[in-house]
Amino acid sequence: MASCITFSEVSKHYGSVMALRGLSLAVQPGEVLGLLGPNGAGKSTTLYLLTGLVRSSSGAISVFGKDLRKHFVEIAARMGVLFERPAFHDGLSVRRNLKLQARLARVDVNVDRALALAGVSEQAAVKAGALSQGMRQRVGLAQAMLTEPELLLLDEPTSGLDVEASQEILGLIRRLNREAGVTVVFSSHLMHEVEALCDRVAILNRGVLVRCERTDKLLSYDQRQVEVLMEGGESAAKRLSEQRWVESVEVRPGRLLVRLRDASSHQLNSFLVNAGHPVSGLIPRRRTLQDYFLKAINEPDAAGERDEG
Amino acid sequence: MMRRVWAAYAVEVSKAIRSKAAYVGPALVLLAVICAPFVHPIHRGDTSAYRYIAYVTPLALDFLGFLLVLVYCAGLVSPELNSGAIRHVLVRPLRRHEYLLAKLMTGMSYALVLTLLVAVGSWSIAFAQGDLLGIEDGGELVYTDDQMLRAYVLGALAGLAPQFAAAAYALMISVCTRSTVAAVGAAAGIWIVLDMVKYPLHMDAFVFSTYLETPWQVFINRCDAIDTSWFPAMGYCLGSSVACVIVCSAVAALVLRRRNLC
Repeated sequence: MASCITFSEVSKHYGSVMALRGLSLAVQPGEVLGLLGPNGAGKSTTLYLLTGLVRSSSGAISVFGKDLRKHFVEIAARMGVLFERPAFHDGLSVRRNLKLQARLARVDVNVDRALALAGVSEQAAVKAGALSQGMRQRVGLAQAMLTEPELLLLDEPTSGLDVEASQEILGLIRRLNREAGVTVVFSSHLMHEVEALCDRVAILNRGVLVRCERTDKLLSYDQRQVEVLMEGGESAAKRLSEQRWVESVEVRPGRLLVRLRDASSHQLNSFLVNAGHPVSGLIPRRRTLQDYFLKAINEPDAAGERDEG
Repeated sequence: MMRRVWAAYAVEVSKAIRSKAAYVGPALVLLAVICAPFVHPIHRGDTSAYRYIAYVTPLALDFLGFLLVLVYCAGLVSPELNSGAIRHVLVRPLRRHEYLLAKLMTGMSYALVLTLLVAVGSWSIAFAQGDLLGIEDGGELVYTDDQMLRAYVLGALAGLAPQFAAAAYALMISVCTRSTVAAVGAAAGIWIVLDMVKYPLHMDAFVFSTYLETPWQVFINRCDAIDTSWFPAMGYCLGSSVACVIVCSAVAALVLRRRNLC
């Protein structure tokens, strides 16, 4: 399948500051890609490069199989963008702002439908300058979805939103992706959002893509970390810590957290049962994106290693 | 391309119509036109109506209008750069130079509106309070009312050239800074400095603002029954103005093209 977006050795520097170094990445049509990274990692630069608002210093970017610079107008017509802090013409109403955007896009769109989708129908007549940050974010999303784009670029889409509103927005993005097949690239520093929404995660650090993996692969169970459900685990913990195949044991109320060195959970279970410790259950710990993220950005060679998507 | 520019221009006009600030300039020039008869009274049975027009038009357009065009156009791009609103425009199917062209057209439209207001306003007041029957000299009709009107219309059309040049110049400054106050200050400041040094440096012939009053000279002189040729002064006026529009637009396009809009 032809990629929706392809970055080929793309670099970007702002004066002497290198924001992005040799980024090579492909995003498939219908995919939701999350860009993760600490501050200054290059997430926003990556998104801005796609919008054409920032020009790459070297390398090539193609979207929908076309060179972004040469075919920007065609590509922009099929793209919707939400910025971290959306800006509007504050003296105009929300509806007027969207109508002007529709006129710029030269498409006959239903503004009210976009407002309803983003849950801001009631604010249609309100001046944009009077909106709260959360509402601005929603109106920004309505603006991004106005032309029913095939590609959505979202920079921190839930920034400034409360938990409920964040969930609604994430649900909406998920629905757009599943029902309309919209390809989504979004940057966030909220791990749970990326976990919940993305098919694939690209981790950037100091302008370098350090990892790019499928989310389900990242979030698989870690057989080396096992949670043992049992009462009175102190003595069991003492015995386990003496075993050379156990790396560490942590006692928690009603359970033990055991990190294994070179053994399986079956071996652990057999050992505990044979030693006379009643075990209620053994649960391999599920990896979190945070574990993976911290590991990826703290690896000594993290800034030098590249992984193609 | 023109469709995209036209769409962007329509958006700009729509925004301007809904902005209170856009009405300040037209209101000021209209006020100047309405108040001018107190300074330059109009009487029936003489040429005072023409003299009033010859007085108020350069006053309202060449000084006040020029400054208003500078201020208005200096504030066309910089606030959008500052607020980030420009990003929402440029992620649409619109290239940067097309956006700039739409802005320039908006600035030019503003200058056109000011000129139309002054023209229609001054002629209406002159018609209502005085006589517009042509210019006589020693009882002989030297210029008919038709010839006077034609000289004014030609002057007004030619007078748009330096106004358009002012729009392009201010737009160029506006693209270079995110602060509207800085843009307005720089546009007016550079113009004042340039006007002060252009004569000592012998560059006045190349500066469009030298010719702000040139388009009205034929009409003004005809009010005194003096025949004046349109050329070569008008040629310098048009040439320097067109050159300014081209150079300033090109510089603005280049600056905006190189700008990272994040």
